[in-house]
Amino acid sequence: MTAPLDGIRVLEIGDRGEACGLILAAAGADVVRVEMPGFGSAGRRQGPFIADQPGQERSLHHAYFNLNKRGVTLDPSTGDGLNVWRRLLERADVVIDSTGPGVLDEINAGHESFANLVEDGKLVWCCITPFGLTGPWKDWEVNDLVQIALGGPMMSTGYDDHEIAPIRPDGEHSLWMGAEFAAMGILAALYEREGSNLGQIIDVSIHESVSCTVEGAFPNWEYAKRLVQRQTGRHSSPARTAPWQFVAGDGGYINLMGGGIPRTRGNWSDLMEWLDEFNAAADLREPQYEAAVHSDPMVATTERARIAEVIGAFVQSRPAEEIYRRGQSLHLPWAVIRRPEQNLDDPHWNSRGFFGEIEIPGFDRKVKVPIAPWQMSESPNELRRRAPMLGEHNFEVFNGELGLDAQQLVALAGSGAI
Amino acid sequence: MAETANNGPRPLEGVRVVDFSWIVAGPQCTRIMADLGADVIRVENESYLDSMRNGMQVFPDRPSLNGSGMFNNMSRNKRGVTANIWHPGGREMVERLIKTADAVLENFSAGAFERMGFGFDHLRELNPNLIYISISGFGHAGVDTTYITWGPTAQAVSGSTAMSGYPEPMPPAGWGYSYLDHTAGYYGAIALLEGLYHRKRTGQGQYIDVAQCETGMMMGGVAMLDYQVNGREYQRQGNHMRWPATAPHSVYRCQGEDRWIAIACETDEQWDALCEVLNADDLATDPLFATNMSRVQVQDKLDAAIEVYTRQWDTRELMYVLQAQGVPAGTAQNSEDKMEHDAQLKSRNFYATADHPYLGPRRFEGLPLHLSRTDWQLQHGAPEFGGDTEQIMTEILGYTADEVTQLKSEIAV
Repeated sequence: MTAPLDGIRVLEIGDRGEACGLILAAAGADVVRVEMPGFGSAGRRQGPFIADQPGQERSLHHAYFNLNKRGVTLDPSTGDGLNVWRRLLERADVVIDSTGPGVLDEINAGHESFANLVEDGKLVWCCITPFGLTGPWKDWEVNDLVQIALGGPMMSTGYDDHEIAPIRPDGEHSLWMGAEFAAMGILAALYEREGSNLGQIIDVSIHESVSCTVEGAFPNWEYAKRLVQRQTGRHSSPARTAPWQFVAGDGGYINLMGGGIPRTRGNWSDLMEWLDEFNAAADLREPQYEAAVHSDPMVATTERARIAEVIGAFVQSRPAEEIYRRGQSLHLPWAVIRRPEQNLDDPHWNSRGFFGEIEIPGFDRKVKVPIAPWQMSESPNELRRRAPMLGEHNFEVFNGELGLDAQQLVALAGSGAI
Repeated sequence: MAETANNGPRPLEGVRVVDFSWIVAGPQCTRIMADLGADVIRVENESYLDSMRNGMQVFPDRPSLNGSGMFNNMSRNKRGVTANIWHPGGREMVERLIKTADAVLENFSAGAFERMGFGFDHLRELNPNLIYISISGFGHAGVDTTYITWGPTAQAVSGSTAMSGYPEPMPPAGWGYSYLDHTAGYYGAIALLEGLYHRKRTGQGQYIDVAQCETGMMMGGVAMLDYQVNGREYQRQGNHMRWPATAPHSVYRCQGEDRWIAIACETDEQWDALCEVLNADDLATDPLFATNMSRVQVQDKLDAAIEVYTRQWDTRELMYVLQAQGVPAGTAQNSEDKMEHDAQLKSRNFYATADHPYLGPRRFEGLPLHLSRTDWQLQHGAPEFGGDTEQIMTEILGYTADEVTQLKSEIAV
């Protein structure tokens, strides 16, 4: 069993590529996070913090997004720092550079300055930037809120009531989307490199990554010049559709995909038996309702509305987890709406080995974290190390690998280079 | 680097993926592989027809299996064969195709592909170094593998739905589409690329079992840590930002029907610039709004006060004026905004055009990455239903034209 990226050295610099480094590190790459001496990455100042006390080594954001990575401090804008950066690059296979268009090249540290390593060498240099390396908006100021607005998910997401603003789903999804495409680009370039023995530059635009992740909104405009309208807890659509989301008897929420209406007659009779146990079938035994099982879920009809109403009333009388488990046992694609932490003890994910346990400096118990959303028969899902403390691997990397001696390291630290 | 019309080699030249996918998650994965140069061959049959072929008909008066805009977008750059795997001749054709493949992908419910006779052991008999990748809601391993998911189901279980919208008592807003179908496709592409790279270096194929719900759970890792370390249950924040707490950070109504702008001030300089652009002396001088810390305390009041001004602006005009002053701001763009008025996407030719035999020339969403030496390419639209059957059988699999005709007459292919 070997990991796919065993032996691949990745340098990660900048604050928008953390999730890409996380993905590659989980695949076995030796990802070295390069942070500013003294300050560290922006994520170290982003909460939540252990016991809500901010501190360089207390950020849970940092603890999650830097799992399996090593960390060094280095300021390539100093002369000595640039020299160390060059030596790191010479030993690297991949750079994840999210510092912004031209930022590193202004200090002679970017892919143009090191074109010899990329174009004539084997280095894969991936730039993750808000808009890509070119174009009129490339230097605009943005954060996740603005990227989710510009890219389109926001106008598809929110509530039936359009007096309420459209919504940015929480979780820094624009950075995830950019990271996922960056990981694909890097892996494709590494695959190609096996034959050509050459590196290349990859230009990943977060705006484009978000813009292509909107599903029906795109073909609706391209093919029918229709705009989709946001709706509470369900797909946006050119026309209003019946609700899918209900409050359960215990105050939790339930998603009844397609209004909870089964797609086969077998499912329908199972559902009717379940409703009968609680005398909750109302008038659904009348034949027009069973016939509605095969109608288009995206087309609202009075029958579908009535079925959704009766099922909606029923689920409001039972606990959310019970509706979920019983519904799924009848092969209905129903779900409980869980908060992220409510999955930590679910037997299924634990039986798959989705979680690993790891220590966090400053906290006295091990914690569970996701490793990877898959099982690979030839590669283990394993956590190899917790997130690095600031400069934790300076000696290991600068001395052990680059051969700088203690006196040189002291001088570099004294000048602010590391 | 925005030009994608190069004719050079693509990174996955020579890779063949036999694609049994349907709906969105699997096709999204193989779309990326095809864009990057893999020869993706969809294997289709009316008995498990991809419902996307029937959806969103471009010419509603003459519906066709080749008439779906959604399908065209999701399966561009791929080829397609039809095969009846319950006919011995059709099954043999599929098996011969699998023998030529680097990877086989499917996203049926767990167990379905095995019931169709294509369990991993049999696939490996056909092709010992094959990569077999499945994408399913709960995965093939584990105790709840019979559970059925669509995108919204997976979003609900994983936590993605709960993390969107205003705090209680408002319900979750969720996602306005099957976000996790796309995410599962993206992770599928990552996993398959990892598998291909692993095989290139070791010679080993493998079985990759992607669970869509887990792709959503990856994005809840920080919330899971906050609960375990601080005992805090996740709470929605609307459009506000909790980590770090900055204000203003919200979405504001502009002129026109349902037009909005997102504005986030991360520094006092940005806040000052916002007040100046809006010509809002009352906001600039109100001591309640003097510092970020004070603004965060009265965020609803702040948002209402800002919206009094933004309502008088056109959203795009305000975005350009604020960006010129360095304030993070962006129109909540709909598809018309993005496809007709977004200068950035236009400058990078993000919505390039390719032909489709039934639908004609159409625009497609780009792949949001460019490789400087071996870029991806948009070559053609989605395959017609069975459109490449004859060519693939004769050119790749060694069937004669007569054999193809015979198998077609038996409805085997």
